[in-house]
Amino acid sequence: MKLKKYLTLTRAGIIEALQFRLSFLVMVVGNLLYLIVVYFLWKAIYASAGTDVVNGMTFSDTLIYLVLATALFNFMEMYIVWEIGRNVQSGKIVLDLLKPIEYRKYLFWAYSGTFVTQFFLTFLPTFIAVAVVTNGAIPMGINLLYFVISVIMAVSINYSIDFIVGTICLYTESIWGINIMKQVIVLLLSGATIPIAFFPDTLKTIVSYLPFQSIYNAPLSILLDGEPKPQTVFTTLGIQLAWCIGMMLLSKLFWKTSLRQITVNGG
Amino acid sequence: MKKRGFHFYFRIYCKIMAQDIKSKMSYRADFIISTIGMIFTNIAGFISFWILFRNFPSIDGWTYYEMLFLYGFSLISLTPVQCLFDNNWSLRQNVYSGDFIKYCFRPINTFFYYQSEIFDIKGLGQLAFGIGTLIYAWCNIGLGFSALMLLKLLVFLITASLIMIALQNTAAATCFWIQNSFYVLDLANRFRDYAKYPITIFSPVFRFFFTFVFPIAFIAYYPSLVLLRPDDVPVLSWISPLFGIAFFWLSYKIWMHGASQYSGTGS
Repeated sequence: MKLKKYLTLTRAGIIEALQFRLSFLVMVVGNLLYLIVVYFLWKAIYASAGTDVVNGMTFSDTLIYLVLATALFNFMEMYIVWEIGRNVQSGKIVLDLLKPIEYRKYLFWAYSGTFVTQFFLTFLPTFIAVAVVTNGAIPMGINLLYFVISVIMAVSINYSIDFIVGTICLYTESIWGINIMKQVIVLLLSGATIPIAFFPDTLKTIVSYLPFQSIYNAPLSILLDGEPKPQTVFTTLGIQLAWCIGMMLLSKLFWKTSLRQITVNGG
Repeated sequence: MKKRGFHFYFRIYCKIMAQDIKSKMSYRADFIISTIGMIFTNIAGFISFWILFRNFPSIDGWTYYEMLFLYGFSLISLTPVQCLFDNNWSLRQNVYSGDFIKYCFRPINTFFYYQSEIFDIKGLGQLAFGIGTLIYAWCNIGLGFSALMLLKLLVFLITASLIMIALQNTAAATCFWIQNSFYVLDLANRFRDYAKYPITIFSPVFRFFFTFVFPIAFIAYYPSLVLLRPDDVPVLSWISPLFGIAFFWLSYKIWMHGASQYSGTGS
């Protein structure tokens, strides 16, 4: 019966999100325009390169990778840092802390409704659009299943990172600066701006030891691998799982110790 | 009533700006973190640029330094919108909460008063970064230097800024008609990232679209041609200052029209 109370929050989130129908239209148009820009930009880049395959990635691979990275970003970005920061500034966080549910869980489930709506309204259409544009260059097979598992873990890692950064807001009372730093670091080092395959070797090594590549690079490379070798897939998923648990524990611990020091104005 | 000249507005602007900077300085940690965040954003942009050109020598006939020139140019032209018009981001909340009504009652131009309230110092870091990039690219291309070139550079930088401001004003003003216009503003904001790519990579339909409908081609591409390819400047480049003024005037009218219709929330 425990799940039921969480799913109620999900349902409320879906209903809330569906109130803003116009903003979805704007978002779909925005994604479409983005798709167009990325398409033409990389087409020009590959045309200038003179070869079809660069760093083991073809034009369609790169296109799928980048477009789906953005789609994943839109779908995973929950503006948690903003939410925590704003709640600290306004004092509303006190009310949330009094709720008979762990704050970390409450926030996640309160936003899970956005996940569901975003998935159907932006991720899925983008996925289909890019599959059509590239003439079915996305391999359809067992890799889709691995991809789904990988995305679920990516959501968890991303949420933990967001929550850690949000906890920092308890100390700094700065939201914009902290959030922009997080966003820039995550997007660049996770391969969402440029595929990690294009990185210079030293940077590639550094990035492989960081949690960020598990968010975008891991699910997308699994998706693009048409004939997955069990060994590579399980290594990737294993690393993801390790980060998933590690970051979750870290974010819980950090929140717990921070909570003792919190000072909230008013309420 | 005595006619109010430029001097009058300038004096008022300085007074309001001084108050804003004072209030910002009282949150010193936030200020420092935000500045670091801004520098981070620029460095990350530069790194992704560098990674891209490590893999590909040129894009559509544009070399690394020429692209850097476009990049630096677009960064500089974004400074005015960042520094002087940042209050557009809060317009949505002000309109929604009803606070906006206070601007309507001041015996001074509403648009002017609203925008003058915030001066975003962070933008100056971006300006410094942009100037550095532009000079670096300028020297490496070997463009030479003359007073006429400097004049051209200034005129076209102002043009580009006007267009950027116009886009943001229009996007922000949508909140007078639709709720949750954050996505519109966010979309306009995301698109200025694409301004740094040469418009020739697009197909004719989208070239038209990005020139006349969503005029991001004027932010860096058309103005830069005057300096980078002086032998082959299209007419559009020369008349772009007129476009800049026209777009700015139009956005001002839309903004003021929305403001004049504003009826408050009754509280």
